[in-house]
Amino acid sequence: MVARGQKRKLHREDEGRGSARESQLQSVLDISMDKFLRDQALVEPCLLRSVLINNTLRQVQSEVRAQVESLSAVKIPMKLKPEPDFTQLSPPAEHNASLSSPNAENTEDDFMVWTSEEDFSLSSAISAILKDLDAVIDAGQGPCASQRAPLRSVENLTPCPPRTERTSAVASSAKTELMCPGRPQDAALDKLLLDIDPSVFEPELNLLQGFSVTADDLVKYLPSLSKSPSASSSSSLVSNGQAMWEIQEIEHVMDILMRTYPQS
Amino acid sequence: MMAGVGGGNDFQWCFSQVKGAIDEDVAEADIISTVEFNYSGELLATGDKGGRVVIFQREQESKNRLLSRGEYNVYSTFQSHEPEFDYLKSLEIEEKINKIRWLPQQNAAHFLLSANDKTIKLWKISERDKRAEGYNLKDEDGRLRDQFRITTLRVPVLMPMDLMVEASPRRIFANAHTYHINSISVNSDYETYLSADDLRINLWHLEITDRSFNIVDIKPANMEELTEVITAAECHPHQCNVFVYSSSKGTIRLCDMRAAALCDRHSKFFEEPEDPSSRSFFSEIISSISDVKFSHSGRYMMTRDYLSVKVWDLNMENRPVETYQVHEYLRSKLCSLYENDCIFDKFECCWNGSDSAIMTGSYNNFFRMFDRNTRRDITLEASRENSKPRAMLKPRKVCTGGKRKKDEISVDSLDFNKKILHTAWHPKENVIAVAATNNLYIFQDKIN
Repeated sequence: MVARGQKRKLHREDEGRGSARESQLQSVLDISMDKFLRDQALVEPCLLRSVLINNTLRQVQSEVRAQVESLSAVKIPMKLKPEPDFTQLSPPAEHNASLSSPNAENTEDDFMVWTSEEDFSLSSAISAILKDLDAVIDAGQGPCASQRAPLRSVENLTPCPPRTERTSAVASSAKTELMCPGRPQDAALDKLLLDIDPSVFEPELNLLQGFSVTADDLVKYLPSLSKSPSASSSSSLVSNGQAMWEIQEIEHVMDILMRTYPQS
Repeated sequence: MMAGVGGGNDFQWCFSQVKGAIDEDVAEADIISTVEFNYSGELLATGDKGGRVVIFQREQESKNRLLSRGEYNVYSTFQSHEPEFDYLKSLEIEEKINKIRWLPQQNAAHFLLSANDKTIKLWKISERDKRAEGYNLKDEDGRLRDQFRITTLRVPVLMPMDLMVEASPRRIFANAHTYHINSISVNSDYETYLSADDLRINLWHLEITDRSFNIVDIKPANMEELTEVITAAECHPHQCNVFVYSSSKGTIRLCDMRAAALCDRHSKFFEEPEDPSSRSFFSEIISSISDVKFSHSGRYMMTRDYLSVKVWDLNMENRPVETYQVHEYLRSKLCSLYENDCIFDKFECCWNGSDSAIMTGSYNNFFRMFDRNTRRDITLEASRENSKPRAMLKPRKVCTGGKRKKDEISVDSLDFNKKILHTAWHPKENVIAVAATNNLYIFQDKIN
């Protein structure tokens, strides 16, 4: 086995690069969401601008998914795992990414003891978020709300635009997810948020010897869990952004937990 | 550097004139939105955000004033477009002139097309330097004469008068574009022209205003599936059946109108393969083509994206034959430029008369020229400080890192509000027009 110190050092270097990319990812996401929301408020946003911003948001989304997938596929947190290659943006997911089942290719001999139900429950929580996010957007594609999508604002709209024919749920959600205007989805969002059981994190806390991280601290990383979505029609869009941030925060939490867990 | 060396094909650009207010507070309406020389270069037209067109005419060079070398003075000013309101969609239609294109001159009058977001107008600019005097039925001031007072019959006589330039709208081509018009281009047959918006391209006959042919339509059945829009279009300079259009994904499609009535299927598809090592979140945005221009020869075309200008051989679709970096130092600043919206700026580009050089704008009132033969490039600045008559322009340089030399400017000091989006090159001589916000600069080559 490689010396512990050496591993840690390399891991920290990767960490630096990774966090820089993550912060850029976060910046681009924040800026794009801000522009997207502002353009939505306009009566007639510039079509070229809208298309470019939407495409950027899709890229960010697929990047986040790729990150989550690669993180949840890790069974050995402290092993040298190549950081997701941020210079190569993953193409938009054309297939249903299954996060809950363990990646058979990643089975290694020296498993961390901690790879157990908690690990699966975390990754399944993440996959549940992503799948529910898709479902929420798809479900919202019903009778149209009074708010018009920016890309359709210049059209003389019929009351109910026809539903798209979709080949796969993920592909369609990749296209429509962030372009869907605010629709009342409070009930679906409530369900989504309730699915994430904070008690999932509690067993790990018991294993964190010598750390002063409390359950409250961890829950702070997931602020949206304690909030109820507002009733405004734009909340779902904000919640989509929040869901992304939730994913980010969950990753961050996972990171902390993995990093601080002692090696066997 | 191109300037200051002398000899060969080197240019030595000198300040000639500047038009526009000196006032620091720039009125939005005065911002120049398009610049275009006519076919002879005698006339130079500008359009602004206020919907006005100003045409400058070059003075004839006289023996007495050799040094003036043909200055451009105001020839005609008129209000081309007014702000409108679309009541059906509750949308305001901006009066900003997006494009001006001249028609070739066929008689004493001049014709140009001007377009805002929705409507194209054909304007006739004509001179009047005579007027009739001695009418029988009315006085000189226009009042009707008392019929009982008319005792003789006379023939009116044409008398000279002060030159008056009149602009009158001869055709209005309206209601054909749902989306914003980004391009108009006169066909080489001088009978038709095309207009392009974000999703469609229409072909018009100059005489017919109540209908046009739609030749390209990329609107998807479901608008939520839209990922690409048309950014520019142009007719081939010699082949009246050929035109090209560029997209927000950095591709150019060449279409042949003989192939089908609807040119949704292209004849040629130009796209440069992406360099995977430079991929970023902004790759697509910066690949969006803001302008496409055929060379005068018709053999090449040039495209402008955010960071570069590319020259394409029409016979080679898989990559451009030449690539010129306009301001590569901005690549590391793309996130900030995305945040402040500068990344969406649409720069234009232009050829010189012989297709040996190309020009495009940048920030900080800089503009760039590239000599295709020598591969040399130069950065110049359009500013009031360099506006002494016949003062030679000093090349400018942007410092990208390390020690900043004297006269260099660092990337962080660039003024991104001073952008040169519109430039034009005289079709025959080395005279250029550069629009810097609300000012129009005219520069001439010393060896002109």
